[in-house]
Amino acid sequence: MPKHVKITDIGKNPGQQLTHVNLADLLPLPPPYDKLDEQPKWAKIKPEHKEKLECTLDDTIAVGFPRPKTKEEEQELVDKFLSGLEKLLTRENNWTFLQPLLLTLEHCAKCQTCNDACPIYTASGKNDVYRPTYRSEVWRRIVGKYLKPGGKFFGKFTSGDIELNWTTVSRLMELSYRCTLCRRCAQTCPIGVDNGLITHELRKVFSQEMGIAPREIHEKGSVQQLTVGSSTGMTPLVVKDNIEFIDEDMYDRTGIKYETPWDKKGADILLIHNAGEILAWPENPGAFAIILEAAGMSWTMSSEKVGYDGINYGLWYDDFQLARVALKHAEIAKKLGVKKIVMGECGHAHKAIQVIADRVYQGEYNIPRESAMTLLEDIVFSGKIKFDPAKNDFPVTLHDPCNMVRLMGIVEPQRRILRYLCPQFREMTPHGVENYCCGGGSGFAIMSGHNFQDWRLSVSGRMKLKQVLEAFDDYPGPEQKKYLCAPCSNCKGQLRDLFGYYNVWEKSRIQYGGLVELIVNAMVDVKGEFIEWEFH
Amino acid sequence: MTYLHILTYASVAVFVVAIVVRAVRLATTPVHLRWELYPVAHEKDRVRYGGSYFEELDWWTKKREKSMLGELKVMIPEILLQKGLWENNRSMWLWSLLMHNGLYLVIGFAGLAIIGALAGTATEFGSLIKQVAYIVGLIGYIIGVIGTAGLFVLRIGSYRLRSFSPPVAYFNLLFLLALFATGTYLFAVGNEPVDAIAGFAHELITFSPNAVPAGIGGLHLTIAMLFVLYLPFTHMTHFFTKYFTYHAVRWNDEPNLPGSKLEKAIQRQLGYPVSWAAPHLKADGKKNWADIALDTGEDK
Ligand code: SF4
Ligand code: SF4
Repeated sequence: MPKHVKITDIGKNPGQQLTHVNLADLLPLPPPYDKLDEQPKWAKIKPEHKEKLECTLDDTIAVGFPRPKTKEEEQELVDKFLSGLEKLLTRENNWTFLQPLLLTLEHCAKCQTCNDACPIYTASGKNDVYRPTYRSEVWRRIVGKYLKPGGKFFGKFTSGDIELNWTTVSRLMELSYRCTLCRRCAQTCPIGVDNGLITHELRKVFSQEMGIAPREIHEKGSVQQLTVGSSTGMTPLVVKDNIEFIDEDMYDRTGIKYETPWDKKGADILLIHNAGEILAWPENPGAFAIILEAAGMSWTMSSEKVGYDGINYGLWYDDFQLARVALKHAEIAKKLGVKKIVMGECGHAHKAIQVIADRVYQGEYNIPRESAMTLLEDIVFSGKIKFDPAKNDFPVTLHDPCNMVRLMGIVEPQRRILRYLCPQFREMTPHGVENYCCGGGSGFAIMSGHNFQDWRLSVSGRMKLKQVLEAFDDYPGPEQKKYLCAPCSNCKGQLRDLFGYYNVWEKSRIQYGGLVELIVNAMVDVKGEFIEWEFH
Repeated sequence: MTYLHILTYASVAVFVVAIVVRAVRLATTPVHLRWELYPVAHEKDRVRYGGSYFEELDWWTKKREKSMLGELKVMIPEILLQKGLWENNRSMWLWSLLMHNGLYLVIGFAGLAIIGALAGTATEFGSLIKQVAYIVGLIGYIIGVIGTAGLFVLRIGSYRLRSFSPPVAYFNLLFLLALFATGTYLFAVGNEPVDAIAGFAHELITFSPNAVPAGIGGLHLTIAMLFVLYLPFTHMTHFFTKYFTYHAVRWNDEPNLPGSKLEKAIQRQLGYPVSWAAPHLKADGKKNWADIALDTGEDK
């Protein structure tokens, strides 16, 4: 059992670590993953990093902010943080989330009902610091004491005690990257208070006011996407080359010849993938193309900067970066004159463009946007393509990406496809809108600096691994090949790392992949197996 | 005019004004970006599994069917039966159920007492109301005591609750306990509790203040009125702000359709000046939201 940590501890003992993650405390995994001595060991943070970077929350680093050198520098940062918190509560600066934020600020009943819903808190062996309410309470207490009228006198009584200093701020900065924004906790709150929202808003204070965010999601992420064209670093030329290669490869693998259409004006559909697919799982964009071509759809991809990468990391930490990318997507679609934008298999890209940016789009920029799940369902059941479900006769389960399912309500289209095309489809528990996050949400899947990967695979991804293993508990060993369908690029990134970390392929022979791969695998016109049964 | 009469008028006035101010403040905050959470209760058939209109091909060309009944089907069991706690926090459920329903019944008791006072106890209707009020009040106060005491013990006894509780969390429970306990005592001493409350209500309604009810009745009413005065400034306003957390946030899936009122409201907000200080935003307090969102830094 982890040692208890009080809310007030967050500002105490500067330079010392607030809490520890002990492998023995973590939620047990099913056999053969249950042996403590076989649990992967964590990489140690290098002493020079320990010395230079803020890392006094737990045993890892997500943000990696350099330690201020003087007391004055510290105070300046604290003041900036407070001014950011203040802006968060103004109409002008934060109209985007002010109403939900005020509701969450003022109505928590401290019933702690939300705690057990959180996969991170539960998987950590119930470490207080990872309670959904820990960071929320720290935030609430700071607002209560330092921003509310009379807070200096009554704050201690009404909100609870807290000391705002650099230790508090720096730990809170790291703590805002110990939550995947899955909002499972919010689903269980009887009052409608949303701890996930607080994580989101705290990250905004750090980014929008202090210019602090993990490098992977800001500099290497949204900034690179806007300037180079994609967070992967692919320029328009490179992406076209890569897709051409994929087109050829698909021909070799399936015998189906097609050419991905680029920048086709007036096409019905602009398909935008998470560009990571093109590099890491080329069979996914390939399968998409095969399906769309076989169904005779009018579609195109865009080779304009940003137009070939559907990711939108701003969703996790910065409203303006979100809007910048979203507006670029719409501008490209408008130029092409397409009827709709369809997002490929990427949950956060889905939610960014369909839900969160929805109210940023004005007039002619408001081009209809749709999920690939819906389009694929329509195609699969249209009769335009012949399928043989026997080709998919192996155990299949489905991971529900939080962004697509709990936060968008796209639950059934992918299931109807799987029930039709996969005779051994089974649900995991819980599933649908009550699913557990893969543990890579909110940017974690692309964050591996220092030993953050150890944290996200041991702690935030633990519940998912347990669930996947249990979904296949009728075939636990490597004798039977099994498929985990995860129609989201980010989730796949996390699952790849998770399976690699725990040797899941060797021990349990579970392959992970998208939905389109299963669809193509079942196509009568596709020779042999499309799914590659080797871990990658 | 006694202190209690003044306190009552003042408490009721403050309560009404504060609640209205809070409701107006929340209702007039800018339209926010969508942040819904499924299941969205007004989705007609899809609510069974938490689906949305996004599941339909070309959803923007289809008529969206909303069921307000669906929202009530979630809200009513939540308000009356504390369904959320039943499902996710069973150890708190019974006590919370008793405390909340105790409060509803005590409010009902006060309402009935006022009706009784207006009807006059001499009429048949008046005496019937009085009898009903008696039962409602008695049950309300007793279950209120049990529920609140249970919550208090739980909060002290459970590490999980105790560790994150500010002093006000205990104060609120003790305040409520005092309210329920003095009410229960009023019934226990048998001093015609309905008459005491109804008589006092009559004095207030007819603006003919007399004396403070004797004994525990006076104390009970004083506590009750202080509670009415206090409540609008606490998280306990969730009794009505739940409408916003559920209806305006969790279930707000209203799409921004071209030419809609929603679009116009957002247009105004995109013109708000922004003063965030991070360098990548280049905000100066004058540039507006849209200016900053359209500056992608590409040319630099
Ligand atoms: S967020 Fe909701 S569930 Fe969690 S402690 Fe607050 S009121 Fe209770
Ligand atoms: S949003 Fe998800 S990860 Fe974050 S606190 Fe809530 S349940 Fe935990």
